[in-house]
Amino acid sequence: MKRLARGALLALALAALVVPPAPVPADAQERVVKIAGVGAMTGVIRGFGINSKAVLDMTVDEINQAGGVKLADGTRAKIVTTFADERCNAEEGISVVRKLASEDWLVVIGPTCSNVAEPLFGILQRKVGDAGDSGLQFPIFSDTAIKPGLAKLSEWAFRNVPHEPTMYNHLFKWLKEKHPDLKTVSGGVESDFAHSNSNSQTMDAAAKAAGFEVLGWEKWLLNDTEFSTQVGKWRRAKPDIIAISSHPFTLCGTLREMKRQGVKPRLLVGLTSSATLETMAGCGPEAEGLIIPTGFAPVTPEAERVAKIVATKYKGNVDLHSAAVYENVHVLKQVIETSGVEAKPATVAQDRRRIRDGLAKVKEFDGLLGQVKRLDDRESLKPYVFAVAKNSDWAVLFDPR
Amino acid sequence: MSDLLLDVVQQVLNGFLFGSSYALIGIGFTMIFGVMDKLNLGFGVTALAGAYSGLLVFHLTRGPFVLVFLTAVVSAGLIGLVIELTCFRWMPRDYPLAPLMATMGMLFFIDEVLAHATHGRPMAFPAPMGELMMDLGPWLLRGDLGFMFLVSLAVMGGLWALVYRTRLGLATRAVSQQPVAAQLCGIGLRRVNAAVFVITGMVGGVAGALIGSAVGNLSPLLSLPLTVKGLVTAVLGGLGSIPGAIVAGLLLGIVEYEALYFFGIGYRDMITYLLLFAFLVFRPGGLLGRGAPH
Repeated sequence: MKRLARGALLALALAALVVPPAPVPADAQERVVKIAGVGAMTGVIRGFGINSKAVLDMTVDEINQAGGVKLADGTRAKIVTTFADERCNAEEGISVVRKLASEDWLVVIGPTCSNVAEPLFGILQRKVGDAGDSGLQFPIFSDTAIKPGLAKLSEWAFRNVPHEPTMYNHLFKWLKEKHPDLKTVSGGVESDFAHSNSNSQTMDAAAKAAGFEVLGWEKWLLNDTEFSTQVGKWRRAKPDIIAISSHPFTLCGTLREMKRQGVKPRLLVGLTSSATLETMAGCGPEAEGLIIPTGFAPVTPEAERVAKIVATKYKGNVDLHSAAVYENVHVLKQVIETSGVEAKPATVAQDRRRIRDGLAKVKEFDGLLGQVKRLDDRESLKPYVFAVAKNSDWAVLFDPR
Repeated sequence: MSDLLLDVVQQVLNGFLFGSSYALIGIGFTMIFGVMDKLNLGFGVTALAGAYSGLLVFHLTRGPFVLVFLTAVVSAGLIGLVIELTCFRWMPRDYPLAPLMATMGMLFFIDEVLAHATHGRPMAFPAPMGELMMDLGPWLLRGDLGFMFLVSLAVMGGLWALVYRTRLGLATRAVSQQPVAAQLCGIGLRRVNAAVFVITGMVGGVAGALIGSAVGNLSPLLSLPLTVKGLVTAVLGGLGSIPGAIVAGLLLGIVEYEALYFFGIGYRDMITYLLLFAFLVFRPGGLLGRGAPH
């Protein structure tokens, strides 16, 4: 009998070792919050996507190392990310976001290009809760696509990009105060790029509002290589200020041509997206004196810290676009922790709605340069500085914060 | 002299000099077509990749422009050979479209490799002439464009000598005119084709390095314009005609500059393609090409 009991005990012990434990209920499994980045990772705009991804990885690593995000029931979840390539192509952007929406990603940060953001926001549900609108119900929080006014396309679209009209209005007003003797402005724009084009109109309006006479705008295309005709017209017009709304490749081409033809305006103003290291790498000496309003500069301890870590450990650059990724992830963390997100497979749709509603309620947050105000149209009003190209690097010319 | 006349002449001057870059690219397209009767859409990106190779050597050695230039020429020649192997020799002969599509694939493949290697960022390219400008009375002459024009002339002269004064040139012309007869005479078709791809690749390398130095930057953005302008030049000049490509490149440069001056950027390319369309309808053989039936 004793032997039988001993055998039974042994059998039980063996069974305990061999039989797998009963499945853990889904709720008790380690939960994750899934945030997708979408940006250009191929093609000539690839640099923007690489920087956004580097900042996303850095920010999420920091948050996860600090314990992740707190969910509605008090458990802590790690953030999991992916980064999808939209190739600065509208169809591609829509395709990758539809795929992410069909999976269990809760929110998207991106895209890079305004020509992707505009149609992408168009496929989102226009008004929240509109049963007759079958658009995607998926929150998107843009970091880079900067063309003014895009978030109004859908109540699921949010942006944290510099507000260019505010920045350029301030810049031209400030230039007028500092240089009252300057009267005229000539402009140049790469007319086949959505952001450059819209920004030229912003610059034009801002210059006129500040009391400058705008002599006209010369145009070229994104992949043009020769600018002698356009610069020749500036040479003849002799404006006090030349405002160039173009990205680094053609910006550098025009600056070189200006040097060749001896066109020396008293001041040079550039496009927000050109306040980057790309411009310095392409034509630092020619860009000397170029003034650009920008939503990022390493002028606060936190901005300096983030820029340094991203550059050394994540091989990216923090600029006015990618800096927003850091801010967006922190805002999302705050929203997730305060809006009842559960991060369960069964609550994906509800969680997306909670994040959307939470984002809509945010009125301000701490950004890398200071307080960022959120506007009713789901856009940001961000602090900015006026940067100037000096000795092939960027320096702060004026800090209005 | 009125400002208008001054500007018009200045545009002619600029267009003529810048057109030499179109001529060099056009020569590459037209030579390959002349010999193989096929288009190599990867030629423009070959020129660009050669220039990037030169830039790589520059970053590694900080060497003089001559070294950058020679690296661009040699590497573009090698890339040309790779394209000949992968997009033509290994392609099935029963599918005439296969090489065309393969070279299109090669165009985007190399372009993307360049974008990945550089993150798509423009990179400063050494410019031996700097921002030199020469005064020609009331007109300005860009030093780098003048330099490009002179080098282009030298390359064109060299090509002419190669085609008309060497055994390889004789073999190339024979293959171009009667490939079967040329083979029966003992000319190695594969060897001639490979040589043509290497030589045109080297011409592309010259063009890439000169365009890089004139633009001052390299960017993957350049590959499509080089391809399109090269093709337009080759068609306007007459596919297969080297002198035609030279004349058409210079003409195209002038037309573009004048169109830009008078009508603005929105019409510049429109006028270029209208010109192409007019040629295809009224003179399909191009300026100096073989006559084609209407």
